[in-house]
Amino acid sequence: MKTVVKLLLLAVAAQLPAQQIQFNLDHLAGKASNTVDVSLNGTMLQFAAKFLDGKDSEEAQVKKLLEGITGIYVKSYEFKTEGAWAPADLDRVRDQLRAPQWARIIDINSTEDRQTTQVYVRSENQKMTGLAILVSEPKELTVVNIVGNVDLNSLAELGGHFGIPKVETPPQKK
Amino acid sequence: MDWLEEELRRALARKEPEPGFTARVSARSRAGGRGALSRRWLATAASVLVLAGSGAGYRWYQGVRAKEQVMAAVRIAGGKLNQVQNRVLEVAK
Repeated sequence: MKTVVKLLLLAVAAQLPAQQIQFNLDHLAGKASNTVDVSLNGTMLQFAAKFLDGKDSEEAQVKKLLEGITGIYVKSYEFKTEGAWAPADLDRVRDQLRAPQWARIIDINSTEDRQTTQVYVRSENQKMTGLAILVSEPKELTVVNIVGNVDLNSLAELGGHFGIPKVETPPQKK
Repeated sequence: MDWLEEELRRALARKEPEPGFTARVSARSRAGGRGALSRRWLATAASVLVLAGSGAGYRWYQGVRAKEQVMAAVRIAGGKLNQVQNRVLEVAK
C-alpha cells in the first residue's frame, strides 16, 4: 500500500511544473491589452524541440538553446494606460528571488523612460540552474523564468534574430 | 362449421420439413454471420483509424503550438536580454 502511495506521489510530482518562482500575476490579464503567457515544462520543451526545424538557422539556434533547459515560463503584459499594474505585483516576485540560491546580476533603473530591468541567476553547487528576468515599464510588465542551464550568450545572440537589432559588443581593450 | 374446422386442422397440422432444410438454414446462417462479422470488423477498423488520425492530428497541433510558445518565449527573453546588453553598453561608453 505504501509503495502505491509513493508511486502516486511520484506521479503527481512528475506532473508538477518545475517553475522556480510563482508569478501570481494572472489578475493583470484582464487589464492588459496584450498578454503573452508561456508555460512549458521539460516534457513540453522536448516535444516542442521535435517540431523545430534544424535547417532553419533561427530554429536550429533555439533548438540548441533548449538543450539543458527544463522549463520556460513567461508572463508579459502590455497595457494601454499607466498604473494598471502595482509595484506590489512585482515585489511579490522579487521576494521569492531573495532566496540564497538566487543572485541578482543586473539591475538597471532608467529614470528617463521609467524602466527597470533586473536579471537574476539561480545556481546550485556552482552550476547555473535558472534565470529570471524582470522588466517593468509604465505600460508593460514582463517576468521570465527559464529553468536549467541557460546559455546567456546564445540567448542574447538571439537578440540579433526575430527582427531585434543585434548589439555588437565593442572589442575588448588590451 | 365442420368444413372450416377441417380446413384449419389441415392448415395448422404439423408438417415435417423437406429433407436438407436444416443444412440449408445452417449454411445460410453461417454465410450471413460471416458478413455481419466482417462488417463489424470494418466498422471497428474505421473507428480505430479515425481515432488514431485525430490523435495524431491533435499531437501535431500540440507540437506546433508548443513550438510557437517556445519561439515567443525566446523572442521575449532574448529581446529583453538584448535591451539589457544595450543599456550596459550605453553606460560603459
